[in-house]
Amino acid sequence: MTEVSIERLTKTFGSARAVDCISIRIADGEFISLLGPSGCGKTTTLKMIAGFEEASEGAIRFDGKDVVNVPAEKRDIGMVFQNYALFPHMTVDQNLAFGLEMRKIAKPEMRERIAKVLDMVQLGGYSDRYPNQLSGGQQQRVALARALVIEPKILLLDEPLANLDAKLREEMRVFIRDLQRRVGITTVYVTHDQAEAMTMSDRVVVMFGGRIAQIGAPSDIYERPENLEVAQFVGQVNLVKGTITAAAGAGKSRVASVFGEVAVDSRTDHAPGATVTLSLRPEAIELKAAGQGGAQGKVTARYYSGSIIDYRIALDSGETLHVQTFPNIRIAEGDRVSVHAPADGFWLLGAAK
Amino acid sequence: MKRPVFTLYCLLVYAFLLAPILVVVGASFNAGNFLTFPPQGLSPRWYVTFFHNDVFMRAIRTSLWVAAVATVISGTIGTMAALYYVQHAGRWKEAVRIAMLAPLLLPEVLTAIALLFFVYAIGIGTTTMIGMIAGHVLITLPFVFINVSASLESFDPSWDMAARSLGADRLTRFRRIMLPLIKPGVIGGALFAFIISFDTFTISFMLKGIGTSTLPIQLFDYLRTNFTPEAAAVSTVSIVLTLVVVIVSEKVLGLRIHRF
Ligand SMILES: Nc1ncnc2c1ncn2[C@@H]1O[C@H](COP(=O)(O)OP(=O)(O)OP(=O)(O)O)[C@@H](O)[C@H]1O
Ligand SMILES: [Mg+2]
Repeated sequence: MTEVSIERLTKTFGSARAVDCISIRIADGEFISLLGPSGCGKTTTLKMIAGFEEASEGAIRFDGKDVVNVPAEKRDIGMVFQNYALFPHMTVDQNLAFGLEMRKIAKPEMRERIAKVLDMVQLGGYSDRYPNQLSGGQQQRVALARALVIEPKILLLDEPLANLDAKLREEMRVFIRDLQRRVGITTVYVTHDQAEAMTMSDRVVVMFGGRIAQIGAPSDIYERPENLEVAQFVGQVNLVKGTITAAAGAGKSRVASVFGEVAVDSRTDHAPGATVTLSLRPEAIELKAAGQGGAQGKVTARYYSGSIIDYRIALDSGETLHVQTFPNIRIAEGDRVSVHAPADGFWLLGAAK
Repeated sequence: MKRPVFTLYCLLVYAFLLAPILVVVGASFNAGNFLTFPPQGLSPRWYVTFFHNDVFMRAIRTSLWVAAVATVISGTIGTMAALYYVQHAGRWKEAVRIAMLAPLLLPEVLTAIALLFFVYAIGIGTTTMIGMIAGHVLITLPFVFINVSASLESFDPSWDMAARSLGADRLTRFRRIMLPLIKPGVIGGALFAFIISFDTFTISFMLKGIGTSTLPIQLFDYLRTNFTPEAAAVSTVSIVLTLVVVIVSEKVLGLRIHRF
């Protein structure tokens, strides 16, 4: 199918650089998410890939061929919009047939392909409904079917789940991901929801202010964030000050902090004596009863939310920690605790660029 | 307001709006020789007279013809202008809007006189119907423009993008996506245009050529010298014609858009 290569792609609106020299290589069949806060240029990037927005600089290649000068209607892309953009005056069937008619597909084959794709999105009996006779989730699946039925080179989705309620959103994540795997289509997915990007993607592209902050597998982004900004965007994080004591080899440094001296993973090298910031994910921390080693502190708040409990801990050394544990430990607000953090729970953050 | 009071109020408003029409219709079935209400005996005789009156028949044909031509031209230009206004006018938007609505804001007689000067200045004069039709197009244009731009404002640009991504070129997108979705606005505007053109007096009076006459002008001429119930019959027929146009276009073209 199709490999997409984005090279030094830039979009300027007047003097503002909405997308600033980004390069991404998307492998055939890969599911890539563009993740970032509002206004960071995700939609603009997607529109340039689709051909709705002209690139100011740079190249977009589908299988090596530059498509920058190919109009959107000739790029052979399937697009799913946040508001679905189903044609309200056409039935589900007519919506799906539209793209096939444009490709001059013969009637029998058309029928067959529509039936097949409707089956895939589990909307077999709905072909005569108008969009306003469908629920949000069903409209979403019709939009997906309409994009897929033309068997496009790539599938582009712009926050397709933003208008659905929380439960349906989680169902649709899995649904879209499974469908994408089965069809094997190269996919670019735009979202500002980190959990969505994490669960669905092969790789995540984190963007801030029109630039790429990091590209990597979800676990990479989460466990080895490029900088503080990325770490904070993809989840909750505790920041712990430390001092480098020695390089430990193999991308590790020895760092002294309130949790003692540990060998910490890092991407960058630091000279001994340098002051650094360590990130420590809330779920990596272990709480034990007071006096069992580790850093000492006191529980200042406890929030129960079913599958996990959130604790706020005030360490005796002055720092505040955010801790998440399974609800099977019985530690109450006001208790004194020992706080343990394993060496592999830390990550040495690079400075933000 | 209490319910009965409100009902009474509504009835009064309706009476105020519809009573003149009822009086005209009633008077048209007058058996007597003069235009009076209540009628002195019922008879369709004035309709018979009217339908045998060649002058009126010619006027009614002219009116229908002019209205149809003006509606087609005004519908096309008005729709195109609305498209430009909503999608491409950019910073000229307000200027375009005011220019398009100008015929509605200016006194009709002013537009008529200006146009009369114009047709003589460029040498076509009033020997043909071109001047009059131009006038009708001018005064009906704002109605098409208002209706179509209103329906275009609610046209979601992502519909167009979706159609593009599915491979539709510009013309196909206009024909298959945009036009069906703005149809209520176009038809609504065209209906307004037809009715206003059929009904207008000032523009026609100034710009009609010698020897041609539209229905409102013919009626005015007639009433200057006669005062028979035939005038009421003429009015009734013109009311019925207007209704027929509205109902037929509603049924055939569908004013309500599909099912949303
Ligand atoms: N047509 C335009 N003219 C001028 N500026 C624009 C235009 N479209 C987008 N921008 C600007 O470009 C930047 C990126 O916009 P974009 O829509 O790509 O953001 P986004 O990441 O999709 O955000 P969101 O999550 O809110 O959808 C924003 O600052 C926006 O204001
Ligand atoms: Mg966006």
